[in-house]
Amino acid sequence: MATVSTAPTTSRPTHPSHRPRTPRRGLPVLGALPFLAPALALYGIFLLFPIVSAIYLSFVRWNGFPTVPQIWAGLANYQDIFTNDTVFHTALRNSVIWVVLSLVVPTVLALLLALALNNRLLGRNLLRSAFYIPAVLASIAVATMWTWIYNPNSGLVNSTLTSLGLSSWIQDWLGDPQIALYSVFVAFVWQTTGFSMVLFLAGLQTVPADLVEAAKLDGASAWQTFRNVTLPALRPTFTVVLVLTVISSLKVFDLIVGMTNGGPAQSSQVLALWSYSQSFINHNFGGGNALAVVLLVITLALVLPYLMWTLKEDER
Amino acid sequence: MNAVRRANYPLIGLWIALVVCALIWLAPFAFMVLTSLKSTADIGRSSVWALPEVWRWDNYTAAAERGELWTVAKNSAYIALIKVPLGLMISAAAAFAIARLRFKRQRILLIVITLGAMVPVQVAIAPMFTTLSSMGLLNSTNGIILPYLAFGIPSQVFFLYGFFRSLPRELDEAARIDGSGNWRLFVRVILPLAKPALAALFILDFVATWNEYGMALVLLQDQDARTVPLALQAFQSQFASNYGQLNAFIIMSILPVLIVYLMFQRFFTQGALAGAIKG
Repeated sequence: MATVSTAPTTSRPTHPSHRPRTPRRGLPVLGALPFLAPALALYGIFLLFPIVSAIYLSFVRWNGFPTVPQIWAGLANYQDIFTNDTVFHTALRNSVIWVVLSLVVPTVLALLLALALNNRLLGRNLLRSAFYIPAVLASIAVATMWTWIYNPNSGLVNSTLTSLGLSSWIQDWLGDPQIALYSVFVAFVWQTTGFSMVLFLAGLQTVPADLVEAAKLDGASAWQTFRNVTLPALRPTFTVVLVLTVISSLKVFDLIVGMTNGGPAQSSQVLALWSYSQSFINHNFGGGNALAVVLLVITLALVLPYLMWTLKEDER
Repeated sequence: MNAVRRANYPLIGLWIALVVCALIWLAPFAFMVLTSLKSTADIGRSSVWALPEVWRWDNYTAAAERGELWTVAKNSAYIALIKVPLGLMISAAAAFAIARLRFKRQRILLIVITLGAMVPVQVAIAPMFTTLSSMGLLNSTNGIILPYLAFGIPSQVFFLYGFFRSLPRELDEAARIDGSGNWRLFVRVILPLAKPALAALFILDFVATWNEYGMALVLLQDQDARTVPLALQAFQSQFASNYGQLNAFIIMSILPVLIVYLMFQRFFTQGALAGAIKG
């Protein structure tokens, strides 16, 4: 598909659909260029160039100060990460845990809420808003709120447990290396479920109502209708939700900085934060950028196949 | 008349369950508001759901002053009000070119631009710091607008590309026959039709820009250039034990996006975002 549409093409009839031709057919690029130039310039200078530089910087030793020379180090930074850097192993494991948990917990919760709130109910929009509102808050605000909620003495969680007579369940939620990551994850679920719910709600509007009606008339149970009518219609929505979830879970940074800063004892460290810390706290730009490259490779490996697939579908 | 309908017990049960869940979901807000109106001594003594012994409204004024709320809110508003409209125009122009004009390597261009949306900021942040620093644009509200624009482009171009592609081709042909060039087609025909999509993106982008933290943390280290999320983080680390004022500050910092949300609620919860997930 891609090769067809990018071919030079005035002589060859390429597409059944009639695409408009630019008036000056000799130099079509020149017609498009003024529209593209601002976006491409910004994208090139402030997004693409930094990424390419990050790849270069991952091969040097440098502390980030402009007056200090960058020393070529080959693969030494990568070797360091994979063999000496125990924090990297924790961060990588935590990032994987985070992605997997995010694909399951908020997604299932969001789907259930969307199915429930797709019914005609009293105050339906109010209820939808209640679940969606956390999604518009700044992650750093959510982090600050939840740090207070988890406060070991006066926080909401421990106080509620005490008043329910469950004092034995009380934890130092953010101070215990065993559970800190999961405590932060709960705040993430609270923040992100609403957005996926809205996407599912939008997807549910594309489920053909007459098909649901027909299934009911044929005596299908609610589960059968869901399984055979609703779920197949939601396929594209699922793809979007899952891809956006993967992207946002690899980007998680603010919440962890705000709640634990990767601690205690690096137990809640993740790749994005560890890369930042290496560059800007430990002044190890080489190591920080090598971590950035690892993060980039993981991200691309997870989302590139999806992107190619969508654009191919779109061509049809 | 079918005035008396049979009570639908499963649906009533579902409704009750949803209301309970919604109350739990909103409990953090209620807890935050209550805390923001108590004195520190009161917080240590009383139960979390008790009303304040004395209503400390002055927590709000004190927190605003200590956290320099007005300065940082002005910075955030300045950045958002320049970045959001400018970014939308830039993205719309590029999406228009890719979706409606014809040139070589269109598809590759779209893929390369869209890929930018997937990249965590931290991948690019260290070189970006060096670049802005060499341009003398570090610690400047004008300087940070540039990378903000760049990082907004991918998702907006992707979204608007999808929207523009869904408009009928005949529009272009009609405009061409009338002798319109690309600019007229874009400004007179395509943009007016894109108003709902642009409005939805405006709101999403305003919220995202107001909330941005990862880039600001690195690129705005000067006290006077700080944005609201940076001030909130600073407030938490400086006055962590003054819970009343801290919660008052959180509430004030999220108020603008809550207002925007309530004003444009239907965009969020009634499926106006549906365009984002075409089949």
